[in-house]
Amino acid sequence: MPSNDTKDRGARAAADIRPFQIRGRFFTAVSLRPESEQQDESFFEALDDQLRQTPQFFANAPLILDLEQVPGLNGTEVLRRMVETLKQRNLAPFGVQNASGEQVRAASDLGLINITTGQDAPLKAERRQKAIKAVRQTPAKTKTITLPVRSGQTVIADEGDLIVIGPVSSGAELIAAGNIHVYGPLRGRAMAGAHGDETARVFCTRLEAELLAIAGLYRTSESLAPEYGLQNVQAFLKNERLCVETLG
Amino acid sequence: MSKIIVVTSGKGGVGKTTTSAAISAGLAKRGHKTVVIDFDVGLRNLDMIMGCERRVVFDFINVIQGDAKLKQALIRDKRLDNLAVLPTSQTRDKDALTQEGVEAVLNELKEEFDYIICDSPAGIERGALMAMYYADEAIVVTNPEVSSVRDSDRVLGLLQSKTHRAEEEGAEPIKAQVLITRHDQARIDKGEMMTVEDVLEILAVPLLGIIPESPAVLRASNMGVPVVLDDPSAAASAYEDAVARLVGEQVEMKIGGERRPGLISRLFGRTA
Ligand SMILES: Nc1ncnc2c1ncn2[C@@H]1O[C@H](COP(=O)(O)OP(=O)(O)OP(=O)(O)O)[C@@H](O)[C@H]1O
Ligand SMILES: [Mg+2]
Repeated sequence: MPSNDTKDRGARAAADIRPFQIRGRFFTAVSLRPESEQQDESFFEALDDQLRQTPQFFANAPLILDLEQVPGLNGTEVLRRMVETLKQRNLAPFGVQNASGEQVRAASDLGLINITTGQDAPLKAERRQKAIKAVRQTPAKTKTITLPVRSGQTVIADEGDLIVIGPVSSGAELIAAGNIHVYGPLRGRAMAGAHGDETARVFCTRLEAELLAIAGLYRTSESLAPEYGLQNVQAFLKNERLCVETLG
Repeated sequence: MSKIIVVTSGKGGVGKTTTSAAISAGLAKRGHKTVVIDFDVGLRNLDMIMGCERRVVFDFINVIQGDAKLKQALIRDKRLDNLAVLPTSQTRDKDALTQEGVEAVLNELKEEFDYIICDSPAGIERGALMAMYYADEAIVVTNPEVSSVRDSDRVLGLLQSKTHRAEEEGAEPIKAQVLITRHDQARIDKGEMMTVEDVLEILAVPLLGIIPESPAVLRASNMGVPVVLDDPSAAASAYEDAVARLVGEQVEMKIGGERRPGLISRLFGRTA
């Protein structure tokens, strides 16, 4: 079985020393969205309550402050107090969202970045349950899709493997915490091990992908050797390289 | 039971309005009571291709907003008793389309018509979403070239997720079929356009028909005649065949007016 360890151009030029590696990272952040500008006792009581209910979910969680509802909450000092109170509770605020110009400036004084991309997902009660269960080592959840995944669609398996039975179009996106299996042509993007699992793999019965990534290490169609095109393949990480191999 | 069929594509200028006119005239010719609605608010086009632009008084938006009765806005075709056109407004924009308004008009049309054909605007914004929302079936119009196919694929995804049938628990999904228009065998042979097989391979839905590139289409629309009501042409008979398939008949697939048995058996193998 041919093992493919093609080197990318950059690595070849740098021969054996490589000063750094760039990796794409996906991660989930919690966003905290104050709905009143009054940051008084009751606000922090309610927050503590929430933290008590779902401690694992929030422990050291990267946190974004969503300021959409509180345009009046500005000034470096006010924001500093907020950030400090959150840090005392083991939360890790790193950015602001939906901030006004003034809020962005105050935030950057405190070393918070302004985030303008990303999507919100509601924190449902059952989701909180799952987050706790995951810590108790319940088997990861597999998501199975039996319809074609079309251009413009994103399918995310947040906790486990993703199985698609049908074609995945160019311009479609598959993201999984675990492995990705496609029974059909894979023409879009597939990102396995999205939370950093380097043992995750991508399998497909026909490789025409625009991009393959595992734990953030990726290759685009340009660097996916054409000899693997149209074949039954798997992709995996070996020695920090994304390798592609035909399956017998 | 009446059927709502959306004619949609994503990409602009691929032949949606031409198709809406031809399919609705073809259905009416076969005796089905048919109405065709223009959802392209602000870019009134359908009434011109149907040859009734000088008879427009009230429009779809007037009806939605309660300024006119449906009966006042419907234009009865002079050539076919069974055919009516609901034109759109040239002055309003797509925000005038409300989901409740569209639903109410469609429900009223269902009382009289067997087929309700919705001519969608290009794009994937509000107008296109409104045109597809209540559909039972979809005709996805595609030209055999990469960007058109890719947009059609995107639209197929929306049909499968952003429509009433998609949102309703337990409802059958929208039945979507692809209609390849402006098919030009000479350009395909030169490698300038995609083959029918390549298009179907990507879209993975049944094929409703293949309409050849034909000067008859432009001539008919300049005269305000749906191509199936004009003099016989390869495009007209391809549309007639598509209409026959739409109502459930088995008609052999032809390309550019010629039979291609090899291809046909393969296509049916794939789409049956
Ligand atoms: N089979 C064909 N052969 C030749 N020309 C065609 C054919 N089908 C459509 N056309 C021409 O293509 C142009 C666009 O057609 P049409 O208006 O039906 O597209 P559309 O998808 O409705 O466009 P829009 O997205 O702007 O609503 C017209 O000039 C029409 O005459
Ligand atoms: Mg049009």
